[in-house]
Amino acid sequence: MTSMDLRDGRTLRLPWPRHTGFVAGARLQLAIFRRGWDSLLALVTVPLFTIAFLAITRHAGRTDLTAYAVLAPAVVAVIGMAILTSGEVVTQDRSNGSLELALAAPSRFPIVVVGRVLVVTLVSLVAVVEAWLVAWIVFGVRVPVPHRTAFAGALAVATLATVGTALLMSSVFVAARSARTFQNTISYPLYLLGGAFVPVPLLPGFLHPLCRAVYLSWATDLLRDCLATKPVPDFWPRLGAVAGLGAVGFAAGYAILIRVVDRARATGRVGHE
Amino acid sequence: MTQPPSAAGQDGAPTRFAPPTQRDAESGYAPTVEPPATAGRVAATFEALRYACLSALADLAVIYTWKTWTFGWLARVLCQVAFFALIGRLLQNPATTDYLLIGSAVVIVTMEAAFVTASSTWERGAGTLPLLVAAPTGPFVVFVGRSIQWLISGTASANIALFVLAPIFGVPLAFPTALAAIPLIVLIALSSYCFALLLAAFVLRVPTFRNIVGNITWWTIGLLGGVQVPVTFWPGWVGAIGEVLPLRHGLAGVRVAIAGGPAATILRDAGLEIAVGAGWLVVAALAFRRLAEGGRRTGSIEFGE
Repeated sequence: MTSMDLRDGRTLRLPWPRHTGFVAGARLQLAIFRRGWDSLLALVTVPLFTIAFLAITRHAGRTDLTAYAVLAPAVVAVIGMAILTSGEVVTQDRSNGSLELALAAPSRFPIVVVGRVLVVTLVSLVAVVEAWLVAWIVFGVRVPVPHRTAFAGALAVATLATVGTALLMSSVFVAARSARTFQNTISYPLYLLGGAFVPVPLLPGFLHPLCRAVYLSWATDLLRDCLATKPVPDFWPRLGAVAGLGAVGFAAGYAILIRVVDRARATGRVGHE
Repeated sequence: MTQPPSAAGQDGAPTRFAPPTQRDAESGYAPTVEPPATAGRVAATFEALRYACLSALADLAVIYTWKTWTFGWLARVLCQVAFFALIGRLLQNPATTDYLLIGSAVVIVTMEAAFVTASSTWERGAGTLPLLVAAPTGPFVVFVGRSIQWLISGTASANIALFVLAPIFGVPLAFPTALAAIPLIVLIALSSYCFALLLAAFVLRVPTFRNIVGNITWWTIGLLGGVQVPVTFWPGWVGAIGEVLPLRHGLAGVRVAIAGGPAATILRDAGLEIAVGAGWLVVAALAFRRLAEGGRRTGSIEFGE
């Protein structure tokens, strides 16, 4: 359902995935991916991360941590693309001079952005396949997934939560003057707090409350447990935590983006500030 | 994944030579151009290098304030090094923690030096590359100087990461020998910079790949240079490639210095790092000459991407 008829005969358009702006945003992002490799930087580095992490665990004789070493590059790439590619969505529009036209279009601009960051996040999932393939090709390691349904479910919810975070990033970056400095700054703090490789309990205690406020720490713990042979403890509550924190990120991102757009319209400084 | 911040919006360098005036044209005055003497050419080369370095410093001032560098970039670098050092804690192996912390801190300088691939392409984006190729001083001189901001930032980041995080993670630093790590990191910065200049010559032909090439470069150098695991972990032929890449010998020297090892070993590693850097500098100069000559011949040095 993309619209509903009101009693006075008007039609209320809803921000639903089939919305024209959403589809246009998704198609635009796909076209950008086809045009250049630079927006796929995070995927290009996945093999190198995988080789490095597997080399570290194997050199230390800890083959029991192989699943950690293969999952981590995928997580790093998904978050990396959320920061580097999704984060630049609005900033790029602004530097291209297309932001004015996008804001003047009938479609709601935040819906277009949601379409774009969803495509970026879905494309970033290629990193999961990439990491598993590199482990197999380079080290001859096959990483089994004993809890396939749980893993798929956790990955799907984590992906949606990442869309929320990516939307938040694109909103914050456009509000900030130097998006690139911001992008470079937050990547490793997020990997660290999100437990991309090292689980949160092994981080210093004072960081734990902060880590638990990041959806990624719940998601990586859950995904790692899905790769272990023993039953996954507290699956549903933990999945709920990922979904809840992801929804909070999405709501915050959407609200900030609307505010940024309204401010740009009000001040007439849509382009370069 | 890291992309260098852009310095777009910076003012151009001041024009040093005035065009002919209307009075010159009316009086029929035509300046004769004679090739400068050797001393003059050397002086002009150094002057071009000085201006390129000044341009790089101006870029640095645009890219960072001391606050954004300290609380933004440096904070990220510290998190990056801590991220790898904590893997040692996961492995329950203190020796691995020490190894990863030292390697991850030192490779920061190579990572920042690899930004040269991106910042060199800014000249193409700004439309100044054809002018540099047409100038009497070779473009290589300009490119050698125009990205030194990464050397300054990288050397500072790597040293701070090493000497701040090592005590926090309980890595023993054998002072005063450990201080030899500082000049060794400077040498690694220079050799990595020379290698990255070679790649910049290629990336100037395909600027779209600037960030990808830069990232693949520093990761590969790190993997083969003993950042994450000792070089003996890799098959022999892979290790042989690492022998001629920057970082490897310098990092080995840093590890010896931090452990309070013999000065002779440190000096030998420093010498090898200098030799590797000098070799890549020569290759980079040849690559830039080829770029300029090829561009003149085929007219392929165009404005923008």
